[in-house]
Amino acid sequence: MSAVENTSPQFSAERLDEIKALVARYPAARSALLPVLHMAQEDFGYLSMDVQKLVAETLDLHLMAVREVVTFYTMFREKPCGTYLLEVCTNAGCMLNGADDLVRHLCDKLDIKVGQTTPDGMFTVTEVECAGACAGAPVVQVNNVYHEKATAESMDALITQVRAGGDA
Amino acid sequence: MTALFINDEEVTVTPGTSILEACRQHGADVPYFCYHPELSVAANCRMCLVEVEGWPKPAASCCTPVAEGMKVRTESEGLEKDRQMMMEYLLIHHPLDCPVCDQGGACKLQDYTVEHGASQGRYTEMKRAVVDHDLGPFISTCMTRCIHCTRCVRFADEVAGTGDMGVLDRGDHMRIDGIVDDCLSSELSGSLGDICPVGALLDKPSHDVSRPWEVTRHKSTCTQCPQGCDITIESRGDEVIRIRPDREGVEPWICDRGRYVYDAFRSDERIVEPKIRQGDVLNSVSWDDAIGRAVELLKGKRVGILFSPFWSVEGLTAIRLLQDSSFRDAKVAFDLHRRDMRQFAFEEGLAMTTQQIEDVDQVVVLGSDLRQRLPVLMQRLRKRINSGKPVSRIGAMNYRTNTHPTHDALIRPRDWPAVIARAMDQVTEMGKLAAGMDEWRGAVKERHEAGKLLADALMADSCALLVGEEIRSHADAASLIYGLDLLMRACGHAEEGSDGRNLIPEGMNAQLLSSVFGDIRTSAGELFNAAANGELDAMILVGSDPLGDGLFPAEAKQAMGRLPTVQIGAIAGEISQFADVQLPAAAYSEVEGSFINMEGRVRIAGQPLSSIGSERPLWKVMMRLVQVMGGEVPAINLDELRSHVARLAPQLDGAWNAEGEIVIGTARNKDAVFLPSKAKKQGKLDVVSRYSLYREGAWARASELLTDAGRRHALDDVIAHPDTLAAGEHTIRSSAGEQKFNVGNRTNVTPGVLFVAKRGVAGDLSSELTVDVDGGGV
Amino acid sequence: MAISSDPKKVTRICFDRIEIPNQNKLDVARENGAYKFLPTVLKTFDADKIIDEMKTSGLRGRGGAGFPTGLKWSFVPRNTGKPTYLLCNADEGEPGTFKDRDIMRFDPHLLIEGMIMAGFALGVKDAYIYIRGEFLAEANVLNEAIAEAYAANLLGEKILGTDYSMNLTVHRGAGAYVCGEETALIESLEGRAGRPRFKPPFPAVEGFYQCPTVVNNVETLSTVPAILEHGGEWHAAIGRPNSAGCKLFSVSGHVNKPGNYEVPMGTTLRDLIENHCGGLQHGTVPKAIIPGGSSTPWLMAEHYDVPLTYDDIMEAGSFLGSGAIIVMDETADVVALTRRLSHFYAHESCGQCTPCREGTGWIERVMNRVDGGQGCEGDMKVLEEAAEHMAGRTICALAEGGAAPILSMLKHFPDEVRAKLKESSQ
Repeated sequence: MSAVENTSPQFSAERLDEIKALVARYPAARSALLPVLHMAQEDFGYLSMDVQKLVAETLDLHLMAVREVVTFYTMFREKPCGTYLLEVCTNAGCMLNGADDLVRHLCDKLDIKVGQTTPDGMFTVTEVECAGACAGAPVVQVNNVYHEKATAESMDALITQVRAGGDA
Repeated sequence: MTALFINDEEVTVTPGTSILEACRQHGADVPYFCYHPELSVAANCRMCLVEVEGWPKPAASCCTPVAEGMKVRTESEGLEKDRQMMMEYLLIHHPLDCPVCDQGGACKLQDYTVEHGASQGRYTEMKRAVVDHDLGPFISTCMTRCIHCTRCVRFADEVAGTGDMGVLDRGDHMRIDGIVDDCLSSELSGSLGDICPVGALLDKPSHDVSRPWEVTRHKSTCTQCPQGCDITIESRGDEVIRIRPDREGVEPWICDRGRYVYDAFRSDERIVEPKIRQGDVLNSVSWDDAIGRAVELLKGKRVGILFSPFWSVEGLTAIRLLQDSSFRDAKVAFDLHRRDMRQFAFEEGLAMTTQQIEDVDQVVVLGSDLRQRLPVLMQRLRKRINSGKPVSRIGAMNYRTNTHPTHDALIRPRDWPAVIARAMDQVTEMGKLAAGMDEWRGAVKERHEAGKLLADALMADSCALLVGEEIRSHADAASLIYGLDLLMRACGHAEEGSDGRNLIPEGMNAQLLSSVFGDIRTSAGELFNAAANGELDAMILVGSDPLGDGLFPAEAKQAMGRLPTVQIGAIAGEISQFADVQLPAAAYSEVEGSFINMEGRVRIAGQPLSSIGSERPLWKVMMRLVQVMGGEVPAINLDELRSHVARLAPQLDGAWNAEGEIVIGTARNKDAVFLPSKAKKQGKLDVVSRYSLYREGAWARASELLTDAGRRHALDDVIAHPDTLAAGEHTIRSSAGEQKFNVGNRTNVTPGVLFVAKRGVAGDLSSELTVDVDGGGV
Repeated sequence: MAISSDPKKVTRICFDRIEIPNQNKLDVARENGAYKFLPTVLKTFDADKIIDEMKTSGLRGRGGAGFPTGLKWSFVPRNTGKPTYLLCNADEGEPGTFKDRDIMRFDPHLLIEGMIMAGFALGVKDAYIYIRGEFLAEANVLNEAIAEAYAANLLGEKILGTDYSMNLTVHRGAGAYVCGEETALIESLEGRAGRPRFKPPFPAVEGFYQCPTVVNNVETLSTVPAILEHGGEWHAAIGRPNSAGCKLFSVSGHVNKPGNYEVPMGTTLRDLIENHCGGLQHGTVPKAIIPGGSSTPWLMAEHYDVPLTYDDIMEAGSFLGSGAIIVMDETADVVALTRRLSHFYAHESCGQCTPCREGTGWIERVMNRVDGGQGCEGDMKVLEEAAEHMAGRTICALAEGGAAPILSMLKHFPDEVRAKLKESSQ
């Protein structure tokens, strides 16, 4: 690879095929915007302006149309986050079952504030709205995997495991 | 019709009308921010709530259609409280900028707060502030003031078609922003300052200059293009502060060119004093001295007269009167974009109104960069396309339209005969015939498939052709237009009431120019050739700038260099380097006069601004010349002059005393029968001279605002399809010799064509019809 | 299906097979009755018959609005020349609601079958399941089930050899509660921000890409197979008049056994909470109960014996909504909860309408101050007016939802609010 390589992000050939097949399932390409943004976030980690431009080009949309969607929906990130995104629901059911304490515990343990990422880039802690699993309150999503009836202990164990090189 | 009650009064409206529109039609006052008659309904401001009897909740009147027997109340205690709360909600984050905000005095937020709001707000929390982004030279932003009505977003999507304004985030973090590289890309962008109900988007050039109550408003006509939009010129004293669309005008918008040209009124390029050349310099002298010198140069000489079509009707007629009186044998030209001077089967001007063009079944644009030439007509076509009605386009380039033409075909200028012949084949097969059509198509060997688009459209009940500059400036224009005439007649689109033959004119007053100069006109090219061949002794330029505009800059340079020239006009321009005498004529904003637009509408301007120097209305300058030349002055006041206008152009008789609007028809010439001629030896590549909205016309070039915009929107000097020529430097051979140019590539242009910009660099190439290029060419 | 054909004996419909292991696999689902009745429907029923049965059944939309399903389907015009679309609303974002999740992850073929039958009745070629973005695991289960269905000729071209073809696509949202509102869902599915549209036009006539569209909740569609198999009258005889059938209730908060419980309509709150959910965590008297998701007004202890039906709950001053029951016992800090809910509405407001955009933000900030001990008496009036004038004056009902907790708190617990004001601590 030459040093003067084009560094703007590109979808892989497989991804482009996937997108093409996906677009065919909708009346218009624009409908594929949310799924394609999910794919792009998976591929590139977050939706930088360059990635947004790529998506706009791929689906033949105005860049503004892409930006409107990226900024509207909570799950789309314009900035990178930690390798493990810990999203704690603090809405009604979870709040009534100790979610606030859990958030405080996580922040203390990781020595960050809500919304921040640990210096080693491993963990980000955020508060989110109702995750739709209230029977398992408090609910923590770890990279979109639901951990129900989470406790300080169970989260501590997860953090330790991950830090030791294991999976979440 | 639907009958309903508004505040106990029974009214009738068309079914489907919204309650708000019904209220507006019948004088019931309902406040609103987000509603705009030209934009889709958003219903987000919630200011327009009204009460409907029997409904548990107030209704948003802008999005609720009327129903038979509905009882609407626009005033009540509940509504009063609702409106008060809406104002309180809006003023939560709105900064207290009134003393420094340009919208003050013309601000809906202010007005409604006074009328409906409480005297104090109760919000004591943190207020939001928004970071602004630069949207370019025409619109300033202060988005903290934004009330999120989304008028600007809807405008950008629907009217401008650029989709560059949008709504980001949600909740009260919501902010409206634009994505621009350098500036907003729409030619209608200045309208954003008009439609924003608060001071979030403001007109930048007039920013911080005056207050709405300080300005005088003059009804006037824009003369930057043949649309001739109705405008309001806002002035403070003699200085023009701003130009805006006239609210009662025909078109709801004006383009940025008409809007921002006004700084040219006071530019250094204005000719405001009579001048005589002494050596290298033009020096100010008295009117008598200047006229005297002009007469010296012109009397008894063989004269060429080149004038601009954008003067008033009175001014143009006065030119004819001068020619009749003092220069009977003069060669006269006014069209810098026409090569073929034979009569056209249908002459310049629209046979339909822009509204009719919006409404017909099919529209075909033939060879025109319509967005740049007639931005407001293009917006009508965009509106058509948005509502699902078709627009087809055939031409040399996929000119930017900010919309999606339904059908598109790229051709080279030399293909027009083949296109028309192909269309003729198809309509003949369908049994649609016109005498002469077989002969016409028999004279053309080739066929081009793009003709199918044309033929398909002609099958509809109503069809409008918009014949553009690629055909008008063609060397064989008369036969092409005759061919189109045959097609239209064959398909029933040439009768009164359904005449769709619209030839886009070069300038204003086309219908008048046919009547007044039809018998004596020549082409500008012929005029310059005559000069170059020693057939002329002197030139009179009346407002025309053949170096900056048109297809004959090379010829003009050659011709002008040899001849003494009297320049009469408002703008000096590059051409003034050749002027020996300059006589200042008043600008279109400074005269009482009439103008005829491309639809044939007659506008009478009566509220002129004062001259800024010694300039006089053109017709007076012409009469003075007649006098000093020794002739009998045919008119000494406007009434007398107008009687001459009526004599030369009988359709205008009585125009100045008429009750309603006068509309002038466009000439049709049954005898203009021309078969396609055999193509002469041609170079490999056709040349199309590209138009720039911001740089064509002396006024635009004299305006710093428009010149700056032109720089920002500029494309490459010379453009070709990558299959024709690779990007980079090439040597181009033409009748002007060999020249090197840097060529840029675009794929939305026809292969086999060279597109040249008129910027002086490649400007000389625009005289050419075809060229050859070293190392390339299809 | 193992559901009893005697309506008196029916206690569960949607959850009938929910505990069967691997019920999400097509072969297991088929063993337990999935798709058994589908051929009969496709071959012998027609649109009119199906819509009649649905009307007779009295089924009302289970997503929260409670609109009669058969009636909604009958609004779809036929022969418009435009395609009709069926959209399944699986956004499930109303705080306290988590019932659809269980259907989708444990018995996805029930939903798929319901959608095929509904699509058949409506003449739908392309159907979509709009599932909230966070439900990644559930979307994966659905996608696998759909792939199985395609492979078994239950979806795609000429289903089971009939002339009916239908495509089904799972479409993930990306984190926006407002997309649970049907027109916002349509906007989102069109690839835009989820900003609700004003009505009219109604989605049944002009919805997805301006075509006739029906948006139905997961639970609603999952009830269709049982109704068509056993008949509309059968369903109407379950539950109560005007509240036919069974309902999934998601119970959370201060109960010992939170979870999803399907019971016949008409079961009382007390019965549900005490006998199914293991009673309150503390004490025996609820402090407050939110009956239909956080957007509904609160019920008090005096309402403990109200039967769970649309009409009874409405008479009690609230709405059955999605059937998400959030229980607060004596330990609940209602002001803190309201503060947290006001943050939710401010965060989720799409921002279009002036009163909701500015009002929810205003209310959140005042509640932060009030809950943080920095409030004053005047704040209570501000909260009341800001909430009251949001409600009913907007394009969608999110504003009403945002107003509900505030107005309930002020109505039932003004003293607890006052106790937190600055004046009280001085």
